[in-house]
Amino acid sequence: MATAARYGSRVDAGLLAGCVVLSLIAVVLKDEDREPIASALRRSVVAPLVGLQRGAERWRSAWVASEQRQLASDSVAIRGIKEHALQVENDQLRKIVGLGSRLEWGFIPAEAVHSAAPSEDVVTNMTLTAGSVAGVQRYNPVVAPEGLVGVVQTADPTMSVAILYTSPDFRASAMSADASAFGIVYPHTGRGSAAYMLELRGVPTRVQLKPGTQIFTSGLGGTFPRGIAIGSVVSELKTTEPWTRTYLLRPSVSPSHVTTVLVLTAQRVTQGTGNVWGAAVNVDSATRRIIAANDSIARQATLLEAQARRAVLDSVRRATIDSVRRSLGVIVAPVTPESTAVRARLDSTRPDTTRKPPT
Amino acid sequence: MNWAGAVRTTLVCAILIVLHYTLRPLLAWRASIDFLIVALLLGSVRLRPGAAAVYGFLLGLVADSIAVSPFGAAALSMSVVGFGASWLKAVFFADNLALNGFFLFLAKWVFDLIFLIVGHRAIDPELAMQIFVWSPLAAAVTAVAGVIVLALLKPLMEVRST
Repeated sequence: MATAARYGSRVDAGLLAGCVVLSLIAVVLKDEDREPIASALRRSVVAPLVGLQRGAERWRSAWVASEQRQLASDSVAIRGIKEHALQVENDQLRKIVGLGSRLEWGFIPAEAVHSAAPSEDVVTNMTLTAGSVAGVQRYNPVVAPEGLVGVVQTADPTMSVAILYTSPDFRASAMSADASAFGIVYPHTGRGSAAYMLELRGVPTRVQLKPGTQIFTSGLGGTFPRGIAIGSVVSELKTTEPWTRTYLLRPSVSPSHVTTVLVLTAQRVTQGTGNVWGAAVNVDSATRRIIAANDSIARQATLLEAQARRAVLDSVRRATIDSVRRSLGVIVAPVTPESTAVRARLDSTRPDTTRKPPT
Repeated sequence: MNWAGAVRTTLVCAILIVLHYTLRPLLAWRASIDFLIVALLLGSVRLRPGAAAVYGFLLGLVADSIAVSPFGAAALSMSVVGFGASWLKAVFFADNLALNGFFLFLAKWVFDLIFLIVGHRAIDPELAMQIFVWSPLAAAVTAVAGVIVLALLKPLMEVRST
């Protein structure tokens, strides 16, 4: 039994040694010697496995190609989405740049970071990335290309917090586009989308505003300069006030779309913004000026035409007189300014022909 | 090992060899599962050490003929691993899956070690990276796959009685 076991062990060791030796011979063989053996194996015993491996690799290649195609299409889609976002951002930045170039001076650009708490239904304030170091002060107006956004509430060195027109603390003195009606703009007390509306209160009863009438800041009160767009009239609200009217306004600016704003400095507020937001008041005055200018041009043209007509008539008359004189044998001196002046002087010294000389 | 057991073992080993040439290229992992090592260990523990060495040698020749690696390196490695697995079969087929997993890990790593050293013939940083990073990772993945296979086939497979 023990002999058999010992024999078995020797056989095992011998087989291992044989395998190791054969393997080492295979390893040390030259390429041209080992390739026929490998090739023969690949064509005979291992052929099915080679086929399987080739098939699997083909599947893998197809899978990778499909993934790459999917990735390519995904990246194209993502690029499309990004392009749209970039386009929107570019439009906003262009508008801001346009507003900045119209304002020329007295503003501080800032990025607006919306800071609505999850519990809040309405966004009432936003954080601005410019602070007192950049020149932002409390109560500076915050504007967007579309119009008024809000007012700075606190100004820290590197950032500031602005309340939006939706804030219960927001007030703005306002007027209609033709400056026929004045009032105070308040945030509208409503829920949902109505919470983002405004109210124009204190409009005299005698003034009636039509829906669509543009409302601008009036400049009264000193917080906001005259002419910043606030919104447009939607409808009149029924109130208990007997002497004043209240109107519901649709704001010019949507807070959710505001990403970049301009903060107007106190000096700019004092000196006004002019016709940056196309206030109808200014437009009207400009229109009147244009009409007046047109009238003066027309008058001037008429005057010139009359003068020209008169000059033509004069020259015709003179030519007729000269021709008559020539036919009568009278020498006609050429008409020059000098001769005309001399004649005038002579006329002034010559006694009146109608008056008889004193005898 | 009776005939039914031999057939079962042969079938399982064949499936594992087929998986090695179908699933492995499909997955194409950097540290891939070596189903040939699992098949070698499953077969070797049911054979005498000498026969296991021959089994490993043949399996290695198959691997060498298909791979671009130096011819004979896999044959040498598998011969040694097969012989060692058969010699340590009592330990390997303990009912502890973690221990089985450890021996699968060890077998794969020893295989890679012999294979790489014999195949490369020169020590370079890439070889060291392969031996100490990628080979242990591949061994770990192979061990996990082997443990899963052993757990699934446990009711079917029987260990050769000494």
